[in-house]
Amino acid sequence: MGALKPVPETREDGFFATRIDALINWGRKNSLWPMPLGLSCCGIELMAMLGPKFDLARFGAEAARFSPRQCDLLVVAGTLTWKMAAAARLVYDQMPEPKWVIAMGVCSSTGGMYDSYAVVQGVDSILPVDVYVPGCPPRPDAVIDAILKLQTKIERERPLARILAGPGVSDERGTGARTYQPNDAVRKSVYDLHPHDPRARKG
Amino acid sequence: MPGTITSERVDGALAGIEHRWLVHRDGLPALELDLAGLAHALRALKERAGFESATFVTAVDRLPRVPRFELVHQLFSLAHNERVRLHTRLADGENAPSCTQLWPGAAYMERECYDMFGIRFEGHVGLKRLLMPEEFEHHPLRKDFPHQGIEPDRLYREWDKKRRAEWHPEAAR
Amino acid sequence: MSLQTFEYERGAGLDGKSRSTPPSEVSAATPPARDADDPLHGELMQLNMGPQHPATHGVLRLKLELDGETMRTVEPEVGYLHRGKEKTCESLGWAKFFPHTDRLDYVQPLMNNVGYALALERLAALAVPERGQVIRVLLMELSRVAAHLIYLGTTAIDLGAVSMFFNTFKERENIYTILDAYTGHRMNNTYVRIGGVFADVDEGVEALVREFLARLPTEIDGWEKLLSGNRIWYDRNRNVGILTKEQALAWSLTGPNLRGAGVEFDLRKAQPYSGYEQYEFEIPVGTVGDCYDRYLVRVEEMRQSVRIAAQALDRLAQSRGAEFLAEDRRYVLPPKDRVHTSMEELIFQFKIVTDLRLPAGEAYHAIESSKGELGFYVVSDGTSAPVRCHIRAPGLMNVQAIPPLAEGRLMSDMVALIGSLDFVMGEVDR
Repeated sequence: MGALKPVPETREDGFFATRIDALINWGRKNSLWPMPLGLSCCGIELMAMLGPKFDLARFGAEAARFSPRQCDLLVVAGTLTWKMAAAARLVYDQMPEPKWVIAMGVCSSTGGMYDSYAVVQGVDSILPVDVYVPGCPPRPDAVIDAILKLQTKIERERPLARILAGPGVSDERGTGARTYQPNDAVRKSVYDLHPHDPRARKG
Repeated sequence: MPGTITSERVDGALAGIEHRWLVHRDGLPALELDLAGLAHALRALKERAGFESATFVTAVDRLPRVPRFELVHQLFSLAHNERVRLHTRLADGENAPSCTQLWPGAAYMERECYDMFGIRFEGHVGLKRLLMPEEFEHHPLRKDFPHQGIEPDRLYREWDKKRRAEWHPEAAR
Repeated sequence: MSLQTFEYERGAGLDGKSRSTPPSEVSAATPPARDADDPLHGELMQLNMGPQHPATHGVLRLKLELDGETMRTVEPEVGYLHRGKEKTCESLGWAKFFPHTDRLDYVQPLMNNVGYALALERLAALAVPERGQVIRVLLMELSRVAAHLIYLGTTAIDLGAVSMFFNTFKERENIYTILDAYTGHRMNNTYVRIGGVFADVDEGVEALVREFLARLPTEIDGWEKLLSGNRIWYDRNRNVGILTKEQALAWSLTGPNLRGAGVEFDLRKAQPYSGYEQYEFEIPVGTVGDCYDRYLVRVEEMRQSVRIAAQALDRLAQSRGAEFLAEDRRYVLPPKDRVHTSMEELIFQFKIVTDLRLPAGEAYHAIESSKGELGFYVVSDGTSAPVRCHIRAPGLMNVQAIPPLAEGRLMSDMVALIGSLDFVMGEVDR
């Protein structure tokens, strides 16, 4: 039962009392369906993670689906370019609530080694990210660790408040705390860090 | 070692077309041509010297040299296991002859060259950008284009604005 | 070379025996005849495939026009992974570009390293010590196996054979274990340097490789048993995407795609590098040039790679202790222990890291990568800033061959075709 923490004296006769939030979170965190957005090198490690040695099925997150409509965990694995950014955002938009995002690898976390005209300097400038995984590419163990961290994070969410509030509340994830706004502030600050270099070429 | 390698087969095929052999460092015969003779030379190399395959077509931006660009064709002959490299100087705005009629495989190479340098190829069916989006305004491999780009996120932001207006009209207002 | 291959009831083989159904008849018969009374006659449906699609092996986008199930026009759209590698090389300099070459064709990082290093060495006219070359050959052949395993696993899973994915990834994990033991990282190892390799292969790694090479041929036989005679695999690959010799050359195809079309051309034999002329191996070629032939060619190449790697191991055992990195302090980094103890070496280290100068001139070097001819065309003006580094990517040519092979075929053939042309978008888009 782990995180469910039933009230001890209610365990008799095959039922117990617990918090609805805990029950929902317990279900959500143990049945993550990843949407592998395999963009580059990290996609290969993502496949290795689903493969025989690392076996993501042990953590309940092996049901990778390539349709965003069926998934709740977006794994952005690899370098996101500005040309691909619209497609990635569409994938995220098509995923049903609640949804979480893992930025796998330095490229999707910060742009990594690509400080160039074509690469998005971190997917968090177009999507909200829950867990960042460093590494180029990260080892599958590191990504599994990220999924475990995400599970811990899901445990702390308060989905009931969101359900009771009904539709129309601009809280995308039911966390009761965080709302995704058009992130102009973030985008601007990222852009300010990389003003284009007028020194075209040395000599 | 640097030196000049010439190929008699290539010389024979290029009879009547002005060309100069170049000093190279990699053991491949390399020659320089004028832009006017390039189309003839390519055809001659395909038809008379048996170069069945184009290995790559690209350009080098030699800014501030004038003329600015150097177009590089490298061809390969399977039957003779031989390569040849052709250099042609080209100014900004000048068009190059397309070799897609001779080697259909050169189509993407020329599109890439157009995308990256802005060199147009005459006779290319469907010359458009290959790697960058069609609306992209610059030619990234030109030396006067900065590595970090000029407003790299412009196209995405425009798309994003449109998407928000369509999907959440009340929020866009 | 003649291959012992599976013979299906209608006859399939690489060793000169043609199949009972001539490819010309099949391709002519495949597009279903249109009924003139069909109310939808001539109306085409637009279908978008990718850039996020499991069967496009990365971020390839295909714009299709379908007439029923038949593809009328196919237009690949690439560039979704264009990261500006060539521009990056110009701003970073020669030495710092090495890690970027890993991420070109990221299923075989070390092979790309070697290709780039060879081009720079050719420009600098630098000779690599014997042992360094042998280590490179070993790494390249392991990479080739790893890349072909990706081809086999992903193509099979796309065509419905899910177990193949687990089988091939099990072996890929073994290659990762070897590379992990040798380089300390599973992928993107960046272990090749100008003038040789970063570190020597020790006996522990040799033992791992030996063990792997002893087991792999049996595994390959098992996979062939699973796939070659499999009705689904056979029928979905046979006579799909038939390439003729002339087409393959005109479309600048190289590597297994060219050999599948029956051209016996391998850069390792035709223009040997890294001492490949001293190894015994054979070049498998196809007869029909369809997806099935390309599959057979790649499987046989894995066996040949095992042969080459075994010979490389023997050479390593003979040359233990020999130099594996050239001693030219204009281009080659000094060993770390000497950097920490000698002022002169520290200066060399600083000079090479901060501004490595290659002689003015230009060089092209191509290697036989798992996808075809991977070439680097490098232009230097004698300063530390590269003028141009053009990467001749075989994958781009493979993508370019999709429309002529796919048009007129059924939509379901596209998946087999994409798989068998075998490209990795990191290299296609650069």
